[in-house]
Amino acid sequence: MGLLQEAIFGIVTGSYIAIAAIGFTLIYGIVNMINFAYGEYLTLGAFVGFFAASAIPVPLPVAIVVAMVGGGVISIVLARGFFTPINHTGPVPLLLTSIGLGIAIRNAIRLFGGRSARYIETETTTFRVDAVPDVSIGSVDLLGGFFVTSEHLIVFGSAVAVFLAIHALLTRTDVGIAMRAMGDDESLARVRGIDTQLIRDSVWVLAGVLAGLAGVLMAIQTNVSSTTGFSHILQILSAAILGGAGSPYGAIIGAYVIGLALAISTAFLPSSMTGLSSAVAFAILIAVLLVKPSGIAGTEVREA
Amino acid sequence: MSLLSAEGLVKDFGGLRAIDDLSVSIDEGELVGVMGPNGAGKSTFFNCVSGVIPPDDGTVTLDGTDVTGDPPESLAHRGLVRTFQNTRELETMTVRDNVRLAAPDQPGERTLPALVRSGSMREHEETVRERAEELIETFELDHLADEYSSNLSGGQRKLLELARTLMLDPEVLMLDEPFAGVNPTLTGEIADHIRDLNADGMTVVIIEHELETLTELVDRLIVLRQGRLLVEGEPEAVLEDERVIEAYLGGDAE
Amino acid sequence: MSALDRLPSGRGDRALIAGVACLFVGGLFALTPLQASLPSALYVFVEVGITFVIYGMLVLGLDLQYGHTGLVNFGHVVFFAVGAYATAMLAAQDSFSGIALGYPWPLALLVGVIAAALLGLVVSATSIRLRDDFLAIVTLATAEIFHSIFVNFEGVFGGNVGILGVPRPIAALVGDADTRLIATILVIGGITLITLAAVTRLTDAPYGRVLRAIRADELVTRSVGKSTIVYKTQAFVYGAALAGLAGGLFALYNGAVAPGFFTIQVTVTIWIGMLLGGAANHRAVLAGLAIIMGLRLVSRFGLSVTPVSGDVFAAFRLVVVGLILIAVIRFRPAGIWGDPQELGVDQ
Repeated sequence: MGLLQEAIFGIVTGSYIAIAAIGFTLIYGIVNMINFAYGEYLTLGAFVGFFAASAIPVPLPVAIVVAMVGGGVISIVLARGFFTPINHTGPVPLLLTSIGLGIAIRNAIRLFGGRSARYIETETTTFRVDAVPDVSIGSVDLLGGFFVTSEHLIVFGSAVAVFLAIHALLTRTDVGIAMRAMGDDESLARVRGIDTQLIRDSVWVLAGVLAGLAGVLMAIQTNVSSTTGFSHILQILSAAILGGAGSPYGAIIGAYVIGLALAISTAFLPSSMTGLSSAVAFAILIAVLLVKPSGIAGTEVREA
Repeated sequence: MSLLSAEGLVKDFGGLRAIDDLSVSIDEGELVGVMGPNGAGKSTFFNCVSGVIPPDDGTVTLDGTDVTGDPPESLAHRGLVRTFQNTRELETMTVRDNVRLAAPDQPGERTLPALVRSGSMREHEETVRERAEELIETFELDHLADEYSSNLSGGQRKLLELARTLMLDPEVLMLDEPFAGVNPTLTGEIADHIRDLNADGMTVVIIEHELETLTELVDRLIVLRQGRLLVEGEPEAVLEDERVIEAYLGGDAE
Repeated sequence: MSALDRLPSGRGDRALIAGVACLFVGGLFALTPLQASLPSALYVFVEVGITFVIYGMLVLGLDLQYGHTGLVNFGHVVFFAVGAYATAMLAAQDSFSGIALGYPWPLALLVGVIAAALLGLVVSATSIRLRDDFLAIVTLATAEIFHSIFVNFEGVFGGNVGILGVPRPIAALVGDADTRLIATILVIGGITLITLAAVTRLTDAPYGRVLRAIRADELVTRSVGKSTIVYKTQAFVYGAALAGLAGGLFALYNGAVAPGFFTIQVTVTIWIGMLLGGAANHRAVLAGLAIIMGLRLVSRFGLSVTPVSGDVFAAFRLVVVGLILIAVIRFRPAGIWGDPQELGVDQ
């Protein structure tokens, strides 16, 4: 397979990581916590979408909306039940709680849903372009023919729609502007009369909606099992930190960097070692934290 | 001869110049007050001198040695110790441990002596204990010695901080608002302690808003404004200076 | 003097004596014809007990890092794994795949400890200045990277099968299974007790006072003249070395290492044990670990009497484990025996 094809896969992967990373980074910026259970929100959203699409069944666009609503509800309920009561205790107890919550949810899904992978069936159209010449370096083909499926286009299109919607939300609406103000300086925001708990709740809902969407897109594009979210959480986290923790725009860029890095490392690694490509994302994460802890656009995470 | 001097200090915070070409010199045995309206750069000046943040430009000299940008721990070894504006106790430690911690050169703070419980560690710890008890008594904290310092009142915290720094026997003591949030009786006590320390030869630099106590206490006042040195001199003369009155009553007070 | 006044005293000496006694008796079982017999009902207890004493070294090291110094290391398993793999690869006579060098096991064990300590040094040199939660993420990511390296480099680490054919010094000396189990738990337990004595001495000494001061407020600790970076690095490296020792002993007890032994579950288990018992208190963290590992026993017995599959039971146990972690942090943040004031939490 040519590098061009891998790049397309990378953009698709980057797209759903980006949607999730925006939600993750908003929680980080506003609630000031690393939510390690966030991957499970994706899994739950995907399962909600899957059951809507197969058990009820509803048309695909409706299933996607159901997954988003489900994700938002799950997120705010979990936040109210587990995170809001200990909001004052600081980042470490919040992180540890989210780790515990992630384990519990992941295994509860395994308990009720079993280990098998599921995917949402869609009618797929494949568009092929074979007229691109091969430019080979060693075993890697730098160009080469490629294809794009309608699923790829759904994922990418959804991502672009999300970016535009988030941009409008953060710049045009009162809630969004308040979110940005709170991300910059919470005490100042409170002084200015912003209801910080209301904004936190809004962020939880929004992050849940985004997780639900990212999850259901994964179920359409590949498949989901109880461990899907967990196996993506470090990629989402890497994207968010790479972009500068707390910055939604940075998270988008970070996600595509991670997506492409994963795809390209898959192309260059020998086939017996493709499992290493996930390690590549973590290596990028560590490198970013060491070289430029503030990411592409964000706040300092080192001790003063 | 000047014991501690800063020359041409500059510090920017994101385009905002907190201190601007500031030069200050303090002689051995002096008791100096630093004052100025909010945002005048007093705390930044302290932070740059005590190694908490490195200055962008300029030099800090302690006892003839260039110590610009040296970290707080190495300045402490050279005899310069500071306190903090918002008292920072080790809240999860007892008053006793707070004071004992500061003891310098304890061999038991290294791994091997700690593991083998070396004799020198035990002997040294005896001395540390005695000295700490003395200081705790001097500052009338003995009834609180086993309390966690999170249970102390604001004034008691100031006393504890002072006791802890004295454990190091510093040559230069830098106090950041030692009277803030302290009741009048305790303020008087702390002022007396500072006076005694200075009388014993310790060089003391104090940042303070509480003007009355400060001017009674110090030999010399330094007034900062917008990161620069505005006026310095005898307290009485400085307080009557037009520029100082203007700085305090004028628009900069915000 | 008050109970809080923890300064050089005899504390921990009993652990030292008990540890040496365990090693001695364990040695007798291993080296002399002396035999022990164990009712088969107790086998499972001794087996879980051996895992407990190995994990005990992990939790003592983690508590030195987090409980005393405040370093949030959420990748502790990686040091355990590196110690185990280094020992296994050096000592293994003949592995199915992966490297097997066949050196004497004491040398291999030593190298295992050094390898884990070196990794600890590298991680702390690069990351110790990061804010708490980001240090947690870096350590966690480090553990995940190593895990996937172990799985993917089959020629070196043996892939999912791991390294086989690691010598088992006690098994080589003792033929009879009962005596072997008893000797193993005594020897490894003895080493854990000696570890307990060592960390107790360290934290009771002025050394521990500096560590606790760093956890309370690093800047203040620096301003009274302590080089906090040196202490943080030391605490991190000591914890890593202890984990490496635990890993090496595990390899030499188990006779094989594989990625499945070194998942994030190990990190989670020892974290819960530490938080449940009460951080910054050595005996408490061991007791907390005992409770959480007792849960394994319960689930083993439960499995034999309930008509569900092992997979369902494992999933159920992990749901409970996750909820325990959440509940401890929320309702008892200082753990069962921890001191809320010393840990700076509301209870």
